[in-house]
Amino acid sequence: MRSMVEKRLGATHPRMTIMSGPTREADFADLVDDPAPAHVAREPRPGAPLRGYSHSVEIGQVRMVHGAAAMLAMSVLADSGIEHSRGQYHNPAMFTPLVSSTLSILASLDGAARSETSAHPLRLASYGIAMVVGLVGTAFHVHNITKKPGGFSWENLFYQAPIGAPAALSLSGLLGLAAEGIRDEKPGESPKLLGLPAAPALAGLTALGLLGTTAEVSLLHFRGNFQNPLMYLPVALPPIAAALTAEAALRPHKRPRPQAKLWLGITAALGVAGVAAHAYGTHRYSGGWKNWRQNLVDGPPIPAPPAFSGLALAGFAALALLERHGDD
Amino acid sequence: MSSDPFERPRAADGRAPDVFKMGGWIPMRQNRDGDEVDFAIVGTGAGGGTLAARLAEKGFSVVAFDAGPYFRPLEDFASDETAQEKLYWNDPRVVEGADPIVMGGKNSGKTVGGSMVHFAMVSLRFRPEWFKSRSTLGYGADWPIGWEEMWRYYDQVEKDLSISGPINYPWGPPRPRYPYRPHPLNAAAEVLARGCEAMGMKWTPTPLATVSAPRGEAHPCVYRGFCRFGCSTNAKQSTLNTYIPRAIRAGAEIRDLAMVGRIETDARDRATGVHYHRDGRWRFQKARNVIVAGYAVESPRLLLNSATDRHRHGLANGSGLVGKYLMTQPNQAVYGKSKDEIRWNKGPPSLAITEHWNYDDRKDFDGGYCWMGQGPLPIEWAKTVTASRGIWGDELRLAMQDYNYQVGVKMVGECMPSEANTVTLADQKDRYGLPVAKVTFGWSDNDKALIRHALDQMEMSLEAAGVTDLFRQEEDANHLGGTVRMGDDRRTSVVDADCRSWDVPNLFVCDGSVFPTVGGVNPSLTIQAIALRTADRIEQLAARGDI
Repeated sequence: MRSMVEKRLGATHPRMTIMSGPTREADFADLVDDPAPAHVAREPRPGAPLRGYSHSVEIGQVRMVHGAAAMLAMSVLADSGIEHSRGQYHNPAMFTPLVSSTLSILASLDGAARSETSAHPLRLASYGIAMVVGLVGTAFHVHNITKKPGGFSWENLFYQAPIGAPAALSLSGLLGLAAEGIRDEKPGESPKLLGLPAAPALAGLTALGLLGTTAEVSLLHFRGNFQNPLMYLPVALPPIAAALTAEAALRPHKRPRPQAKLWLGITAALGVAGVAAHAYGTHRYSGGWKNWRQNLVDGPPIPAPPAFSGLALAGFAALALLERHGDD
Repeated sequence: MSSDPFERPRAADGRAPDVFKMGGWIPMRQNRDGDEVDFAIVGTGAGGGTLAARLAEKGFSVVAFDAGPYFRPLEDFASDETAQEKLYWNDPRVVEGADPIVMGGKNSGKTVGGSMVHFAMVSLRFRPEWFKSRSTLGYGADWPIGWEEMWRYYDQVEKDLSISGPINYPWGPPRPRYPYRPHPLNAAAEVLARGCEAMGMKWTPTPLATVSAPRGEAHPCVYRGFCRFGCSTNAKQSTLNTYIPRAIRAGAEIRDLAMVGRIETDARDRATGVHYHRDGRWRFQKARNVIVAGYAVESPRLLLNSATDRHRHGLANGSGLVGKYLMTQPNQAVYGKSKDEIRWNKGPPSLAITEHWNYDDRKDFDGGYCWMGQGPLPIEWAKTVTASRGIWGDELRLAMQDYNYQVGVKMVGECMPSEANTVTLADQKDRYGLPVAKVTFGWSDNDKALIRHALDQMEMSLEAAGVTDLFRQEEDANHLGGTVRMGDDRRTSVVDADCRSWDVPNLFVCDGSVFPTVGGVNPSLTIQAIALRTADRIEQLAARGDI
């Protein structure tokens, strides 16, 4: 793949490597008949006819980012559903993330299914709400921690409302907004996310999201004493993907990044493997899976690990965009 | 469902119960009575069970006896306060003195694993100065062991039991991080914490011997709350599911329902084995060495019951101190009512602790104490309310309706060693025909001052936490100590620092009875640390032919 891309870029745009690339139109025109696209997801999905498809909108990447937003939102929905029902919804605000993550999922499904080249206000609203609810949730969780005796102590960080969890909802919202930003083509303008160039911003967001998620996993796996050595993997590996993705955000040359893709792939796989690992961990709780009603709540959170896969998906989309545009 | 554990021994026919599997078995090496084993150990609790594992792992042949049954935690530990009384030493004893000790659940166990099977899992280290309290603090007696050495054995036992404790322990010299993370606090523990914070005292999640994450075949704690009984999920790291399986794996034999009645000695003042009652008859196990680990009542009783013409006042009693310096820890409490629901039966009872008064010497009495959160189950609570408030009938019934709002804190304090507090033999005989123990005890003036101070402080802390309708439980005591004290002078102690009798060189006593002072914390971790040290010392002594 790399050699093909280099050959192509090198043949057509010899100065590509010093970041003074061609116009986007030229670039895209050049790629129309590319038999080996930069990323397979760029290809139109069968069964989803791309009416009004414009080559200047990376609908494949848009779908990926919507998918990432949906995966994070699903993780939030399942996780907060379990945790907040464990807390018996003693504060009605505890329903909010369920509603918001559901909206985020619906918006993402809708966004992924459509190929129009403009943002939709309802999707924007859903994602905006998710971003805000995540922020407010973080504030709530911080309040929950600080009002307990000991305040910001290990004990409270371990067992009070998880400080990092609501951020996943904000992240889902941000990813959704990124998808809308990339989709929302304005002639002559490169896609933007919150005023920043979309591709590097998305890469940066992915890197931050991966680091934040890793921090949360570190805390909770430390709480679980790393009693199974596998518990070190999601602490040790995602930061590599985060570093490589951050590097892409900070130095958004138009070039392929096989290392970053490899590590994002590993991170994505980790998210899936984590579900299996947590299912195994659940079996080690008293009564095992026969006692699922208790152990789904008390055991390791089965819906949590795919947050890594969602973020990796966003990272893939960011890399694909960068591979196309660089930071133009 | 497995057979009745009281009916016939389970550890037999080359196998012992697998405590982690319903109806499961693990292979166990067995010895014949005529085989002269390296060690016959009497008792399988914190002292004996730990020693059995370590000595077997060091290659010695070991038979460990317990008068109680071999329980299967997954099958035998019902969530029933009354049924769980089967775990205690309920055989008759005579108690007397100014403040007779109530014998039973708080100070005895009669099961493989000993009282650790029903202990509250509180796993605390001594304050370093307590090992030399006579020299450094001016009371009690010095131990013949230094705290630095004990600190190393504490490290080891904390690892062996995967103690779940706080990241940083607020008192004493640095210690390694606890092997497992602390448990979440329940509401009762939060009340303790708020009270401490209001009084400007430090508090911490209590280091507990119940795992907060999976460990081998043990499941993490489910916060069921039957913690001062048998743990039916194996989260509690008692001798029964830690050192005992290790001992058997390493080749030790455990004999359940085997009551040792007498230690045999020869004309050279060496122990030759133990007489024990099992399967309805008395038998004799030959042994090169005997270790007594029956705790502060049964250990001296066995020594006294093993008197011969050469040892008229009991075995190992050249000092005349066997059975003397009995201590019991003050266990008074203050209770009250919270405006918020507490549900203190949820989770281990003692999830938070303050050791403030163990480390602050600005008080006008000797010794220290800690206090912990509490979670008495309904029957115990009804007894407490009746005994402390004197209410009965309808008034009691109404008071019990506040159960989910009750909250309280309970002390574990240091009792001064006094020669007048004793374990002796009564005229009465038990079902084996052996004279029963007579336990004589009275609080000293210092003990009473310590208890008053603690009750005042605990009450202030609960008031500060907003608890109302306070009342005191003024009569209670728990863990024992003393009666076979260790020391470095054969005139003033029964055993030396290695828990070895001064008089009978191949006889050891290793349990809470060797404590010269009892400290203001629960004793199990210290007993186990001493057992680990004793195993190492025995190995060293054996290596140089001294055993």
